[in-house]
Amino acid sequence: MADMKKKFTVLAVDDTPENLDVVKGILAHEYVVKVAINGPMALKIAEKQPPDLILLDIMMPGMDGYEVCRKLKSNPATRDVPVIFLTAMDQTSDEASGFELGAADYITKPVNPPILEARVKTHLALKESMDELQKAYGIIKVQKDRMEDELNIGRDIQMSMLPLEFPAFPDRNELSVHALLKPAREVGGDFYDFFFVNDDEICLVVGDVSGKGVPAALFMAVTKTMIKTRAMDDRSPASIVTRVNDEMSADNPSCMFVTLFIAICNVRTGKFRFTNAGHNPPYIRRSTGVLEHLDQRHGPIIGAVEGVAYKENDTMLLSGDTAFIFTDGVTEAMDTGSQLYSESRLEDVLGTTKNNTVEDLVNESLASVESFADGAEQADDITILAFCLNAEPGQSIGHRAQFVIDAELSEIERINHRLDDFAKEHEVSNGIIQKLKIAIDELVTNIISHGFVDGDDQSIEISFDCSDKQLIVEIIDEGVPFNVFEAAKPDTTLSIEDREIGGLGTLLVNELIDEVAYQRRNNTNVVSLTMNLRNE
Amino acid sequence: MEISVREASGVNILDLSGSLDTNTSQAAEDKVNNLLAAGHDKILFNFKELNYISSSGLRVLLATAKKLKVSGGLMTVCSLNPVVQEVFDISGFAGILSLASDEEEALASF
Repeated sequence: MADMKKKFTVLAVDDTPENLDVVKGILAHEYVVKVAINGPMALKIAEKQPPDLILLDIMMPGMDGYEVCRKLKSNPATRDVPVIFLTAMDQTSDEASGFELGAADYITKPVNPPILEARVKTHLALKESMDELQKAYGIIKVQKDRMEDELNIGRDIQMSMLPLEFPAFPDRNELSVHALLKPAREVGGDFYDFFFVNDDEICLVVGDVSGKGVPAALFMAVTKTMIKTRAMDDRSPASIVTRVNDEMSADNPSCMFVTLFIAICNVRTGKFRFTNAGHNPPYIRRSTGVLEHLDQRHGPIIGAVEGVAYKENDTMLLSGDTAFIFTDGVTEAMDTGSQLYSESRLEDVLGTTKNNTVEDLVNESLASVESFADGAEQADDITILAFCLNAEPGQSIGHRAQFVIDAELSEIERINHRLDDFAKEHEVSNGIIQKLKIAIDELVTNIISHGFVDGDDQSIEISFDCSDKQLIVEIIDEGVPFNVFEAAKPDTTLSIEDREIGGLGTLLVNELIDEVAYQRRNNTNVVSLTMNLRNE
Repeated sequence: MEISVREASGVNILDLSGSLDTNTSQAAEDKVNNLLAAGHDKILFNFKELNYISSSGLRVLLATAKKLKVSGGLMTVCSLNPVVQEVFDISGFAGILSLASDEEEALASF
């Protein structure tokens, strides 16, 4: 069988031809041996075709061995060729200066054949391993560069999807929103978004895609686009998330996930409805300084399980209340000792900076995380979004007032007070207000008693609208579809003994109010009551 | 809403002020039931200070009227403002209950 192993080339350099013959005699049976009788000749041969090893005499006329070695080591082509000095001198100080020049070893003359053979073999083996490592490193480097390119492309896609212009809504004084995303070098697929779905309602989104690079960025882009599309014709965060999850999990071969927090806030009423799909819970910082953790969870991460019906909760934002939404890159940021930043540190920041703008709040939070990390490498994307209401919700803006009540009978009193204030402001007569109060009493009682399937945390939206001709009251609930005006009319001609009270409320509403209307709009029942003002 | 009870010429007069609606009708019904339980059978609802009434309030009036009908008692409602009068007209209560324009006229009807 032919020896497939490559034959190594050894270059021997010595000004004494006899010495070269000795070396040749020892090595020629196993290696290709080239010879040079002075320094310049050795350099020429080495540069033309670098040998695998050089045996180098130190004491040579003209250019000595040290000088040859120095030149070999300064030439990239020959730098990595191991050099063994061959010399009659055996002083350790000379050995030291040779090693400083990068010599691999020393062999003293006269040469002991087995020692020469052994040393040469060892250093060639070392050289071979080194070459293999270099080659492997080269391959790794190519792969690494390619991965980094991909990460960079992913990062570019990710950042290009975000709204980056602030202030975001310069002509909307009733709210302010600020957000930032600080990408980690490698892992990360965070995103945020905010947009108005109609004149009054703004949708806020913060998400965290598993994975990295181009696939994560594309997954994020699809999720973000789908949310926005869904939000445009769906007022419920739970319903949006449910539909997005169904689509994302139906065709998800790469098994990517995204955690998601989505809220829809009515900037007039302050009603803040939200769904948390496997995301870390945000905070509401009340204008009073009280910090609330929105720790309700409404379903698993998006993309994992098809057919999950997500739920939602709501809360009310008042003027000065701030919603603080973020990703776990904040709380799980590490310092150099691998300590986590943690929620308690974030709560300290949110608790101490009280009267700042959303922009300050976002920046101060990031600064706090960065100062904690103290130069430790950022392991995950950091995303922070802060949203604040600046106007007192429900205050009449122009000729309109809008607010939300809990679905409780005692809340009717609150509607009445608001209606009194509104009436005073718009000089509406007492008779009209009395009739409206009767109608509201009937309708709201009806909604609360019959409209909701489960009794948890329901609310009803009320709005008053006034022009110089009409006053319109709207009552909006999310209960089961029910047109109250289709209910059977009672027989009002019966005697006391035979009279039933049912249905009387609706009759009163129909008769007392100039114009009534019912419509099913975006999964809500909308009843509007119109009173004409000119007849008076 | 506030309810006070006084007696004149053997008639128990309930003065109601504010509104008689979902949130207040239970208190009104309790007051009336106490009177009926104590054997009083001449009841006058004086609505002079009442702003408005909803169907919950009408239910209290109807229940009271039914009970007095059985026991042979009498019940009158007086001093309705225009909106309350309109509610009585719409609901047909104007036709089945005894109404009076003021307290003097009402007391004369017992």
